[in-house]
Amino acid sequence: MANAVELRGIHKTFDHFVAVDHLSINIRKGGVYGLLGPNGAGKTSTIRMMIGIIRPDEGEVWLFGERFHREQLQRVGYLPEERGLYKRMKVLDHLVFLGRVHGLTEHEARKRSLAWCERLQLSEWTHKKVEELSKGMQQKVQFIAALLHNPDLIIMDEPFAGLDPANAVMLKDVLLELKKDSRTILFSTHRMDQVERLCDAICLIDHGRSLLEGDLKKIKASYGTNHVQMQYEGDPQLEGNELVQSFNNYGNYVELRLKPGADAQQLLRTAADRARISRFELLEPSLEEIFIDVVGKNA
Amino acid sequence: MHNVWLIVQREYLERTRSKTFILFTLLMPALLAGGILIPAKLSEFKSVGAQRIVVVSADPDLAKAVRQELLAPPPQVAGSPQELGSTDGFVVQVITTPSDELRETLRQQVSAGTIDGFLWLNADDLAHHKASYSAKDVTDFETNRAVRSAVRTALVKHQLAQKGMTGPQVETLLTPVELKTVHITKGHEGTSGMAVFMTAFFMVMLLYVNVLVYGISVMRSIIEEKNSRILEVLLSSVTAKELLAGKILGVGAVGLTQIAIWLVIGAGFSTPGMVGAKPYLSDVRIPVSAIALFGVFFLLGYFLYSTMYAALGAMVNTDHEAQQMQWPALLPILLAIFLANPVIKHPDSQMAIWLSMVPFFAPILMFIRVMVETPPIWQLVLCFALMLATIYGLLALSSRIYRTGILMYGKRPTLPELRRWLKYAG
Repeated sequence: MANAVELRGIHKTFDHFVAVDHLSINIRKGGVYGLLGPNGAGKTSTIRMMIGIIRPDEGEVWLFGERFHREQLQRVGYLPEERGLYKRMKVLDHLVFLGRVHGLTEHEARKRSLAWCERLQLSEWTHKKVEELSKGMQQKVQFIAALLHNPDLIIMDEPFAGLDPANAVMLKDVLLELKKDSRTILFSTHRMDQVERLCDAICLIDHGRSLLEGDLKKIKASYGTNHVQMQYEGDPQLEGNELVQSFNNYGNYVELRLKPGADAQQLLRTAADRARISRFELLEPSLEEIFIDVVGKNA
Repeated sequence: MHNVWLIVQREYLERTRSKTFILFTLLMPALLAGGILIPAKLSEFKSVGAQRIVVVSADPDLAKAVRQELLAPPPQVAGSPQELGSTDGFVVQVITTPSDELRETLRQQVSAGTIDGFLWLNADDLAHHKASYSAKDVTDFETNRAVRSAVRTALVKHQLAQKGMTGPQVETLLTPVELKTVHITKGHEGTSGMAVFMTAFFMVMLLYVNVLVYGISVMRSIIEEKNSRILEVLLSSVTAKELLAGKILGVGAVGLTQIAIWLVIGAGFSTPGMVGAKPYLSDVRIPVSAIALFGVFFLLGYFLYSTMYAALGAMVNTDHEAQQMQWPALLPILLAIFLANPVIKHPDSQMAIWLSMVPFFAPILMFIRVMVETPPIWQLVLCFALMLATIYGLLALSSRIYRTGILMYGKRPTLPELRRWLKYAG
């Protein structure tokens, strides 16, 4: 099965600043892919090159198994981080316009817009001007615009930013449904918790280079289970223990990170000698910790 | 092409449906019509009554001559519109016994309003070509002018009569020569010079205003699109070039529509509705070719300037910044307006011919030449070719600046940065 997206050594410099540095990524068809990285890592430039807004200085972009050409864009839905709509246009007119720009007929664009507005509870607003809508509603309109032409590849830059929890859940459900329909969804974000819940695979980039790429579960597994959560009564004297690298007391429980190579069982035995252990759990590191670890080493 | 069409369509429909467009389109002719009709009406209102004037002179013949001139109807030059604000005539009383007491009495009468003014003709002053007219309302230029001209004519007649000339001889001598200027187009005698001048002036101003208004409109809407961050959404399916082309064509179509509506309204007005303004408009004949060329010059001028304004819009982030930056686009057209006066006077001088060929000036200067004379075809063809070439070149530059600029927020570019924008492959 062809990859939805293949970036082959793409490279982009602005003046003397290297935005994207010979980056190669493969995104499998179907599933949710996370493009992660701190601010200014080159995420937006990467996405812009992916959909031909800017041209790479070097390297190639392949979509759906073919070298990039503009007709492919009708199969791509894009929700940029910097979003915007024509403020004085009516919601329905605006959606129809964006649908047509993505290759729909006027009739089809109108039909689908109305269906989506119904689904996302915007039906009463279709004849209002965009500027009369709340920020959250405008976001939903933008979201519909990215999905209207039923794209195979959906690229969303920080899709949940600025959404209230109810709307965020609504949006997440739509995305999961699209995933089931074997669409490919690409997220760009620096919010690790969302990625952890939604993504199947990730690429972590910084300074335009890929630091870590692959299946999220495998990545986490490769970091090993070197985290421990425990609850106890008494004082197990964990601080300063030669097996413990770092230690965090959350009140109800403590979370600690083992030193590389340290044996968790040995820690359990020493702790059990000194206190009553009611819970002892080995955990994979959270993506946030991996992120900070990897980016920190790279800096 | 499909995308360009969609952009044009959106631009056109959203703009022509907007209240501002409808209001401005209807208000402009109303303002113009008002500008012509209201003064005409005002001059009618002004006929509140005759000016009561006392002429004081020790010389009864001179005083009578002045009275005669004041009472005579103003000479009508055939074909010229009636003077705006002309007065309703005079009621003249002659007093031939000047004294200081009389002067004081008259002053009081003027203050009290029983007379409007008095003309004091003193022999000593007259020897130095001076006379004095005292009135309450000294800014009533029409009356002042009528009084001055009456005194002048009366003096000449009076002196000529003293030199032994008879009345009819004096009349013949003083009849002004009427010079009729006739505009020759393609060998036909056309309308009078004044009408051609006024028409040319009016059309050029309309052209200038429209080119600027719509050029700036392109700039402002690009700034707005930049600020509303809609561009990146559009760029995911439309190229920057298509966007730019659609924008310029769409706004241009709106401009043409507006002009067309104005022409229709204008044609409607120049028939029965404008009877009041008939004397001022009767001589105005705008040839169809001039209207067609007006459209052509509007489009070419608009394309030329709007490409520059588009680049400016892509470079800046706010209207305020744009105002500081817009002089490169504003200067040439302002210069053309300054040069309009010499060109209108000597439209076929070497200077006028070559200035009107400069693409940035052509929309104004060549159009003036078209209106006031008939430039040779080769000059028009050369002028259009130069304009098209310039537009093509500007579009190439402008679309490069646009492409990079619309994705840049924050600081506006320095010159070296701009040079790099132009070099980016894409």
